[in-house]
Amino acid sequence: MSIKERVRELVGGEVDGVLGYRLVGESHLPHLFKADDIEEMAEDYPVGERYPLASLVRRLQAEDPGMRIAVVARGCDERSLVELAKQGQVDLEHLVILGLACDEELARACGCSEPYPSEIVQGQKAEGAGEDHLVDKIDRLPAEERLDFWLSRFGSCIKCYGCRNVCPLCYCKECALDDAELVERGQVPPAQPAFHLVRAIDMAGRCVDCGLCEEACPVGIPLRTLYRKVGLAVRDNFGYRPGRSLEEKSPLAVLGTEKDLE
Amino acid sequence: MVENDNGEVRILAFLCNWCSYAGADLAGVSRLQYPPNVLDIRVMCTGTISPYHVIKAFQMGIDGVLIAGCHIGDCHYIKGNYMTYKRFQVLRDVFKFIGIDEDRLRLEWVSAAEGERFAGVIKSFTEQVESAGPSPLRSGWGKDPGQWERIREAFKPLVTLEPV
Amino acid sequence: MTDYQTVPTVCPYCGTGCGMLLEVSGGRLSGVLPQKDHPVSRGTLCVKGWTAHEFVHSPGRLTRPLVREDGKSKAASMEEALALVAGKLREAVKTHGPDAAAFVCSAKCTNEENYLVNRIARASVGTNNIDHCARL
Repeated sequence: MSIKERVRELVGGEVDGVLGYRLVGESHLPHLFKADDIEEMAEDYPVGERYPLASLVRRLQAEDPGMRIAVVARGCDERSLVELAKQGQVDLEHLVILGLACDEELARACGCSEPYPSEIVQGQKAEGAGEDHLVDKIDRLPAEERLDFWLSRFGSCIKCYGCRNVCPLCYCKECALDDAELVERGQVPPAQPAFHLVRAIDMAGRCVDCGLCEEACPVGIPLRTLYRKVGLAVRDNFGYRPGRSLEEKSPLAVLGTEKDLE
Repeated sequence: MVENDNGEVRILAFLCNWCSYAGADLAGVSRLQYPPNVLDIRVMCTGTISPYHVIKAFQMGIDGVLIAGCHIGDCHYIKGNYMTYKRFQVLRDVFKFIGIDEDRLRLEWVSAAEGERFAGVIKSFTEQVESAGPSPLRSGWGKDPGQWERIREAFKPLVTLEPV
Repeated sequence: MTDYQTVPTVCPYCGTGCGMLLEVSGGRLSGVLPQKDHPVSRGTLCVKGWTAHEFVHSPGRLTRPLVREDGKSKAASMEEALALVAGKLREAVKTHGPDAAAFVCSAKCTNEENYLVNRIARASVGTNNIDHCARL
C-alpha cells in the first residue's frame, strides 16, 4: 500500500488533515491536505526536496492542539518527532506517522546510516551510508590544523541563521544566537568559533542528523560534521542517541543518577 | 577582548559559593601561595554555569577556564554538579574537535575545607595553561595572509568550497 | 481548523532572485522556507530572505496615505496626497529647475513600477537624479 492510498482511508475520518507534499509545476512543496484537496498529494519523494515537516507538525499543533494530523515521515522526520515529543513540543497521541523509507540514492546523497522510520508504509529499507569519514579525517589532523580548518570555514558564514531556522529541533522563542551579549549585533561573519560552538553545544543530545542545516547553508560550512561529532560525544560519554527511544530522555535534559557520571 | 602585553596567561575560575569559593577563602586566610593569573567568579552552584559562559570566555581571549564545584554527593543543591560534569564532558570533546586544546578547560571538585587542595589545583592548572601557551583565539588569527594560503592548500583534498 | 500551504515565489530583495516558499496559515504569512529545487538558490537563503515575510504584517507598515500638517501626520485620501506631491514637485521644478527633484526606487517594486519612476524622472521632470534603495 502506498502512502497516498493509506491517506485516502484516513482523511475525513481518523485525521483532519495530512501534512505532505503537493506538486506545483515540478516542485514538491509542503502542504496540509484536507478531504477536499487530498487528490493533489504527490506520490513520489525525490532526492533533494526534503522540508522540515517535524517543525510544521509542531507549529500546527501549537496553533490547534486538538487537531489530528497524519504526516509523511522519513527516518529523520520520525526521529525529530520523537525527540520533540520528549521535549513536550509535539503531541504524538494526535499524530499518525506515515513511514516513508528512503531509497539507496537518497540515503547516500544524505550520508544517512538509518534511512527508514520504525514502521514503513511506502518504500524499501535501504542500507544507507556508513560512518562519516570527514569526522575521522578531522579527528586525525593535528590540533593547529584542525583550528585553521574550522575557523576558515566559519569565516565564510554570512549569518543567515538558515541552520537554525530550518532545524526541526530548534524551537526556542528566545534564541541564544539572537542574544546581543553572546553574539555581537551586526558583525558578519559572527564571532568565530563562538557562534557555531553555541549552536553545536545546543545540539548535544538533540540533533537527529537530518542534514537540513548543511543543505540550508549558502556557503557550504560542514555543519553536519560538527554536529555529528557532538552526537558522538554524547553517545560515547552517556550512551544516548537522540530520536530513538520514546522513554529515554537526553542526559543533558535530566539531572540523572550517579550511574550517569561513570 | 582580553589583551596581554606581558605574555602572561589569564585564567577564569568559576567557583561555587558553598564549596570551592570557601576553599579559596581558606587558602587566602592560610596565606598559601599560588600564581596570580586567576580571575575568580563566584556562582551559587556550578550547575548554573552555562556552556555559553565558557564559550564566551574563550572567544574573548581567555587562555584557560577552571570550574571548581562541590564533590559529587555534597552539592548544596543536591545534583547541580551532575549537570556540570555532563556538560563539561561534551564541551571538552567539542573543543578538542574544533582544535582548541581541551586541557584549557578543567573541572575540579574542591570542598570548603580544602584550602591546600585549592592552591594546588590553581598551581597545576596555571602550569598546564602556561605550557599550552596563549589561546589561539586571541586577536591576531587570520591576519597573516600566508596563513590563508597554507589553509587553502592543506584542505583542498579534504572538502570543496562549493555550496551544497 | 488551521490550514497551511506554501506558495513558491522569488525573494523581493536583491537581484539574486532566490526561490522561496511563503508559508500561509489562516490567511496570514507565517514564515518562509527556502525552495529546495530552485536552480539559483538551491534551498538556501540569506537573512533578508528568511525574514522577507515579516514586513507584510508588521504593525509599522504604512497602510494609508499620510500627509504632514503642522508637523503632525494626518490620514488623507490618495487623491489628496498625490495632488500635494505633484503640486510641490511641479513648484520646486519650476522655481529651481529639474535637478531640484530626486527619485528613489526600490527592489520591492516590480520592474514595471521602477521603469515608470525612471520615465517620470527622466522624461517627465527632466532629471537624472534617480537612485535605488540598495545604495542607502
